[in-house]
Amino acid sequence: MARRILKSRNILITGATDGLGFELAKAYASRGHRVVATGRQLLTNDLDFFGSPNIAYIRADQSEPEAAARAIAQAMEKFEWESIDLAILNAATGWTGHPAEETPEEIQRQITINLTAPVLIAKAIAPLLFAAQGQLTMIGSTAVKGQAQFATYAATKAGLDGFVRSLREEWRNKAHVQIIHPGPTRTKMHAKAGLKTGMVRMFFMPTKRAVKAIQRSIRNRDNKRILSRTYGWSSVFSSAKEGEL
Amino acid sequence: MKALITGAANGLGRAMTDQLLDAGHEVWAVDRDTDALDALAIKSRGSCRVILADLANPNSIQRLMRDVKDVKFDLVVLNAGISATGRFEEIPGAAYQKLIAINLTAPLVLASGLMHQDNMAPKSQMVFISSLSHAVGYPGASVYAATKDALAIYAKSVRKPFKKRGVGVTAVFPGPIRTEHAERYSPKDAKANKRMLPEDMAKLILKAASKGKKELYAGKGAGAAKFFGKLAPNMMSKMMRKVIFDKLDSNTY
Repeated sequence: MARRILKSRNILITGATDGLGFELAKAYASRGHRVVATGRQLLTNDLDFFGSPNIAYIRADQSEPEAAARAIAQAMEKFEWESIDLAILNAATGWTGHPAEETPEEIQRQITINLTAPVLIAKAIAPLLFAAQGQLTMIGSTAVKGQAQFATYAATKAGLDGFVRSLREEWRNKAHVQIIHPGPTRTKMHAKAGLKTGMVRMFFMPTKRAVKAIQRSIRNRDNKRILSRTYGWSSVFSSAKEGEL
Repeated sequence: MKALITGAANGLGRAMTDQLLDAGHEVWAVDRDTDALDALAIKSRGSCRVILADLANPNSIQRLMRDVKDVKFDLVVLNAGISATGRFEEIPGAAYQKLIAINLTAPLVLASGLMHQDNMAPKSQMVFISSLSHAVGYPGASVYAATKDALAIYAKSVRKPFKKRGVGVTAVFPGPIRTEHAERYSPKDAKANKRMLPEDMAKLILKAASKGKKELYAGKGAGAAKFFGKLAPNMMSKMMRKVIFDKLDSNTY
């Protein structure tokens, strides 16, 4: 896309080797922004994997949240980023089944990856976000209202929602903090969480449309956005104007 | 009746434990405070089983689960909690990890484990102590607020599946209580008389649990906080910033 962009921004995206994170990284990179993408995989060739010279990949395994936060902070230094305009903390994991069958390890794993890690990463990048009066975007889930079959997953997303609500007030005039709750999207998330979706998947939002909707909500600096079907559809033709993210 | 209470040695947990013991029930009191547990054991003369456990430590939780393996509880109150107040970015990461472990991971692991291990008696009740911050937000304690919101939604999520197995779930949203815990984390000029006494709060919680209530918003102004928190969530958290965050002059964790 040869669209003219006034200013190239620094964007951090976690969980970017797959699903929404991957598509978001490519979408922002294609508009000329500099993207640091994270994931837990070891990638041998970033350029082949993402197909864009604007995306640099670093490994940050969120099951070790302190190490992940440190890896991200070190990468910022290595790439000489003095500020972050936008950080999309998207990485998450899930488990599905009866809540009495969730093992302690499974509960721990989801809380660590979905809640502890974003909290520690937000803390680690706070100075860089403040430097740009940037934006911290958390990716939640519509499960935030409670789900019998993903009790811990829903709890971690509700945790992020509450975290964002309070931090937004704390960080007023320093950085904008928002949360976007996508509904079921046609990513590999469900299969990874052990859920067979079958035909129902047809009704899930296509990943590309969800990415459009997320980008729109980021541009609009919403406080909290639930990605409803209507919002998804109406986002299809929404795109950034000059100077916008 | 047999009850398990976490964080039973001090504050609200202690008040609930005392009231249950006074009413002649058996209590399994879980805490990490050895001295307070000793005092509890001496005072109760055997009707209170004290269990020393550090809920931040997964091995300690597993030991606790083994200790109660053959008990059928009529009431479980997942009450233990800590906080961390101050500027979010200035509090050490380790403090957040501990906060999340005690306030969130521990009650989830215990709730799920007690169900899995068949520790709940028929028609028993499981109580999750969340916080009024679920309604109003808590700038100056954003990670605490996160754990309490997560706990509230977990309780909501498991209500139906647990009910099918004969276990009721109560989520409690207590407003400020006059305990050492609360005072430690509050702005210095916060007025103690605006806080409910732990004994009064304990009474309301035990009553709600015995009636099998789904939710309890309790404490001074809790009803109004819930109402306005749902009606105008952003306005409420803005107000919370003014009354709490702007007045915090130090970080406590």
